Amino acid sequence: MKNKHIATLALAGSLASALAAVSATSAMAEDSKEKCYGIALKGQNDCAAGAGTTCAGTSKMDYQKNVFKLVPAGTCETIKTPEGHGSLTQGPAPV
Amino acid sequence: MSRKPSATQSIGRFAAAVVGAPETVPPGLGAWNGGSVERRFGVYRNNVREGLIGALASRFPVTEKLVGRAFFSALAEAFLLSHPPRSPVLMEWGDALPAFIETFEPAATVPYLADVARLEAARSHAYHAADAAPVQPETLAALDSERLALVRLVSHPALAILRSPYPVLTIWERNTGDSEPAPLELGGGEDMLVTRPQMRVELRPLPPGAARFFEALEEGQSIGWAAEAAHAETPLFDLTLAFTLMIQSGAFSAVAEET
Repeated sequence: MKNKHIATLALAGSLASALAAVSATSAMAEDSKEKCYGIALKGQNDCAAGAGTTCAGTSKMDYQKNVFKLVPAGTCETIKTPEGHGSLTQGPAPV
Repeated sequence: MSRKPSATQSIGRFAAAVVGAPETVPPGLGAWNGGSVERRFGVYRNNVREGLIGALASRFPVTEKLVGRAFFSALAEAFLLSHPPRSPVLMEWGDALPAFIETFEPAATVPYLADVARLEAARSHAYHAADAAPVQPETLAALDSERLALVRLVSHPALAILRSPYPVLTIWERNTGDSEPAPLELGGGEDMLVTRPQMRVELRPLPPGAARFFEALEEGQSIGWAAEAAHAETPLFDLTLAFTLMIQSGAFSAVAEET
């Protein structure tokens, strides 16, 4: 360390200011401290039963063949890259 | 007569065909009623695939929203072919998806997609991480200021630090919930902190240098070393702000025992 004394002072001062700021706002949420049931993220219960587990998906196999024609068609079009909007122009929808 | 494969071999071939290339059928399979084996096995395979793709979409909802359902399904299908699940714990499947997206050619026009997936993976990891109480402000206040620079901290199990050349946190926020995604200029990058101090996963944008500070602490470096590293990265690093974020976020669970 280059300047140990100043560094030590700066560290201690910063930590003290931070502690003061935190205790002033007291942002530590008390409301979320108990175990809460029913907030499991969708699909995170180790069982994907439900949507998708039917036999209905047979036709989805076709994507493999046209995978390189795929064009992202979601909300990514709302985001402009620094190179302009050219890279995200909408192409033909995947067939 | 050829030797009958062992049960392990049979199961292995069956599993390989389920997640393998389309139209693959495990050898020695027969339909009880003499129907088309390919067709019957195809139903089975699709059942498995649709379930897995659905699970992946549930873990990466914003990634899916960004590119649309059809694109995501094709992405997931390609991912399944090269990275079939290795664990029965479905929530772990997809850890390799961000790196896979970087190599997935059709996604090249969405350069930030991999980092959005990284953020979503970090969120679900944080969600399932072991419970631990964050280090209490009183514990930090009681530290000897003379020795503060040498103190090391123990990372909270849920802690993740992400750095992206894209505004990934903003993109994620704009695409969660029911809000309509607003136009966004893809300007500078963002650093972010993922924590779960209690039961809820929290995301915080990090000011300049703070990611370096937290990364160093996570690696087990001392507070003094971490502060120096962050200062070296950018003169904009604000130590007080970094300490405040550290305490508020619950990124660390304890002060390490001195060795």
